[in-house]
Amino acid sequence: MAGPVKYTPPPSPPSPTASFYDISDDDEDEYNTIAHARSGRGVKLLYSKSKVYVHPTPSAKDNIAGFIALIQQKPKPGPNHSTTTHSRNDASSFLLAWVPEASLGDAYSTYVKVDLADDDSPPRQRYLVPPLPTTTTHRDPIGLYSFAVPVSEIYSLLVRPPSLGWWFGSVVINTRSGDSFPALFFHDSECESTILQKKKRVRESFDPFDHDGSLFWGGDEVLRWLRTYVEVQRSSVDRNVYLINPSEEDQLSFGRGLNAGDGTLSKAQPEATAAGPNAAGQQRDASMDPFMKTLKETRWKVLEQLSKITTFTRRTANEIADNPRIPPQVRRLMKNPEVQTLQDEFDSARLYLARWAMSIAEQGEKDRNQRIWTAQDVLESENSSVGDFEILELETGNLAIQERRRIVTLAEWEGFFDPVSGRLHLTVEEVKERIFHGGLDPNDGARKEAWLFLLGVYPWESSHEERQAIMNSKRDEYIRLKAGWWERMVDGNSTSEEYENWKEQRNRIEKDVHRTDRTIPLFAGEDIPHPDPDSPFADTGTNVHLEQMKDMLLTYNEYNPDLGYVQGMSDLLAPLYAVMQDDAVAFWAFVGFMDRMERNFLRDQSGMRSQLLALDHLVQLMDPQLYVHLQSADSTNFFFFFRMLLVWYKREFEWGDVLRLWEALWTDYFSSSFHLFIALAILEKHRDVIMDHLKHFDEVLKYINELSNTMDLVPILTRAESLFHRFERSVQVIDKKDNFPAPSAHQRRPASSSPDSAGKGKSPQRPTVGSSSGVRPPSALQQAIDKDKPKVISPELRELLRKDVPWRRQQTS
Amino acid sequence: MASRKKVLLKVIILGDSGVGKTSLMNQYVNKKFSGSYKATIGADFLTKEVLVDDRLVTMQIWDTAGQERFQSLGVAFYRGADCCVLVYDVNNSKSFEALDSWRDEFLIQASPRDPESFPFVSTPSAWPVSEEQFAVLVVIGNKIDVEENKRMISSKRAMTFCQSKGNIPYFETSAKEALNVEQAFEVIARSALAQEEAEEFSGEFSDPINIHLDNERDGCAC
Repeated sequence: MAGPVKYTPPPSPPSPTASFYDISDDDEDEYNTIAHARSGRGVKLLYSKSKVYVHPTPSAKDNIAGFIALIQQKPKPGPNHSTTTHSRNDASSFLLAWVPEASLGDAYSTYVKVDLADDDSPPRQRYLVPPLPTTTTHRDPIGLYSFAVPVSEIYSLLVRPPSLGWWFGSVVINTRSGDSFPALFFHDSECESTILQKKKRVRESFDPFDHDGSLFWGGDEVLRWLRTYVEVQRSSVDRNVYLINPSEEDQLSFGRGLNAGDGTLSKAQPEATAAGPNAAGQQRDASMDPFMKTLKETRWKVLEQLSKITTFTRRTANEIADNPRIPPQVRRLMKNPEVQTLQDEFDSARLYLARWAMSIAEQGEKDRNQRIWTAQDVLESENSSVGDFEILELETGNLAIQERRRIVTLAEWEGFFDPVSGRLHLTVEEVKERIFHGGLDPNDGARKEAWLFLLGVYPWESSHEERQAIMNSKRDEYIRLKAGWWERMVDGNSTSEEYENWKEQRNRIEKDVHRTDRTIPLFAGEDIPHPDPDSPFADTGTNVHLEQMKDMLLTYNEYNPDLGYVQGMSDLLAPLYAVMQDDAVAFWAFVGFMDRMERNFLRDQSGMRSQLLALDHLVQLMDPQLYVHLQSADSTNFFFFFRMLLVWYKREFEWGDVLRLWEALWTDYFSSSFHLFIALAILEKHRDVIMDHLKHFDEVLKYINELSNTMDLVPILTRAESLFHRFERSVQVIDKKDNFPAPSAHQRRPASSSPDSAGKGKSPQRPTVGSSSGVRPPSALQQAIDKDKPKVISPELRELLRKDVPWRRQQTS
Repeated sequence: MASRKKVLLKVIILGDSGVGKTSLMNQYVNKKFSGSYKATIGADFLTKEVLVDDRLVTMQIWDTAGQERFQSLGVAFYRGADCCVLVYDVNNSKSFEALDSWRDEFLIQASPRDPESFPFVSTPSAWPVSEEQFAVLVVIGNKIDVEENKRMISSKRAMTFCQSKGNIPYFETSAKEALNVEQAFEVIARSALAQEEAEEFSGEFSDPINIHLDNERDGCAC
């Protein structure tokens, strides 16, 4: 059946360029004249691989076995032939095809022969098979029928290597017009050629893995075939995507990342570097494994794409599909009928899906932290209504962000000060900006210095000598304060009532210190016997740092007797002590911290109430949809943020992240209430899950509580910053509107609601209490008119714009 | 009328800080004890499905912060509680003395102001219940694993207290050694279920009264 052989084997390796394989005029003539037995025409079968299945249903018995093949046909003649780009033109003569075994008839043996041809390079022999109907769209979602896609029409291949023990490796063809063909599953254990190729590898290199440790599988072969003729470039955005003849635009948005090199492969590179999936790809497979078991295999590609944009509801899917910012590839995907079906199908499992998607997105965020953030990165990790906004933010200052996020080392910190006087020679704002965005180096002692400024122990304008004097007197005062309670209580110079109260406080402190951050090595040890044999911890022992913690807290109890010790304070002190490792210094840092945190611990809880109220107003303004949902879930007390606000996310983030977060918050760089924007950022990140799945207060509380230690800090900081800017702008817009009220409402106002306004001297503007710019409270009539949008900036909200700490305790020194 | 629908029983654990509220909850639900729980801030809950007399119920057990000032924000989860567990540490007399105020706190916060949760409280004659019975309470003395010479509150003293408060069921447990925890919570589940059913039952009869109350409230707004 084969055509006459008139072919010179190409020199190999290295693989020759695609053009080398262009059929010569001679060939072409010959090629044209060869008639296939049945069809009367033939196309060249370059490569094929058997036991490649379509899985139309989840049931294995419905699987359809077939061949994947690379076929060469005569290029379509046309006037554009000579003007089209060379590689495209080449590509259009190649077809990537899948044919069911059952439909092959006589050609079956040819496919098998080509499959088993022991040839790495392009085939020496030419095999002709009946032409397949060329397709560029995939109309039948079940994919029962064969298809042959011109390689020039292939946009990308989604290549998923087999994972250990669970699913088959697969390839999905995505066309330039936006269609996806059904996933082709490589049943490698049935495929004779793959088995042989594996054996050959073992024989030759004693290693079934390729150079980067991935197991060889059938899909590798398909990529190898394609690389022989066209450019195949692995996407750095999605390691499972291989772009075919990518345009420059595609390369920019999808292709080479900054860490390219491992991702870029072209036909010109030697075969040895032909990479399978890298380690990251493997990891992701492993992490998805248990989840994927619940899904139909044929659908994985869709889910994988969905997971990137973490969009499981139709509503958002449509939004995304219509959003012009979305790369066309993603937009097309979202409109794919298969995706739509999937969304319907898994409605019931949405909570699970959403949680999972969130975790994948977070993993993605972590991975991307190695690179510069791009708008697309953010987009992919976003699923909130504020996504668009953040893209804007990031687009304007893309490069600046990485620069700004550079960590502040001790050397840089010391450079902020005049070497002689030790006075700051930058502005305080500049220093705060650096600390807010970059954070302080956790390892070189920068924090030990800088935190004392941030916490108000040292004035920013102080000189080196002044600071030394301050520290000396602070040390003395600490000793004095500590001696105060010691003499009265331990030496017994107190009334019995005083003593009872003190003992109660001491016991409370004792209990809490022994359960505060004991996983941190500094606090872990139990190497010294407990000084008090009556302590409940007498049997377990203690260590010197725990004892220092107790003394500092008892001294604070002495320093601020009205407040005393309240649960949560030990959580605030521990990081300060761990950084300072000096009880007197840590104590004064703690006093500075407590000056701003005191309101959290008041007996009447008024400080916590007011912050929860401010958060309430903030969510109302920034995300009214979510607010309405929380209302319906009886959750607008925002109690589920109580823990986060009380100890500033100490229980929500890893130790290192807590330190980083606190120093950012201490700067008051944007607002002294920036911690509420952190809360908003967390809420926004999870808003879709909350709105779609959480209907009751207990569900919301549980979900939020369980976020503890699952969150990555930097993206939340970034998001909080964006939200702050948006808030600032919203306030400006509303203030502007309020300065130009609707005239009709204004005129009727005196008659209806303000009987004393006849007094001409009186301003119609009644300034709101605590408001700096005199927002006019809307009249009843106005309120009725804008019932839908009663947007007034409350004093609680206006306070969020302040950079000072208005509730700060007056220093008693 | 016993309905067979699945029941959610809300149980709230109160008591001084450090008496072992979190440990008891975790021992009962997860069968685990850890010496390194952090002080509870805010509130959290765990759920457990249990069979009570062939009836499958879900217990939602709420754990709260122990320091009294944090209770004022916690009204949100007192609401609708079917049972309240008061915990003290048998080695700490202060925590025992505090039981009274914890009990009062719960009764004030949970029931009279919340007629929806405890409708029979406002039903004048159909349910001649004494004040002591309308909210189901259980007292637990925890940490009985600690050596005897450290013990401050004797069983007798605790039982006398519970009897004087209207025969509150009393248990002594060790969350650490898993002593008696299961038994205590079995009674808690049973009590909570009885409470829940009493509400259902009285609810059928007190409907008109509730409407009346609603009207009164509306009346004020007019």
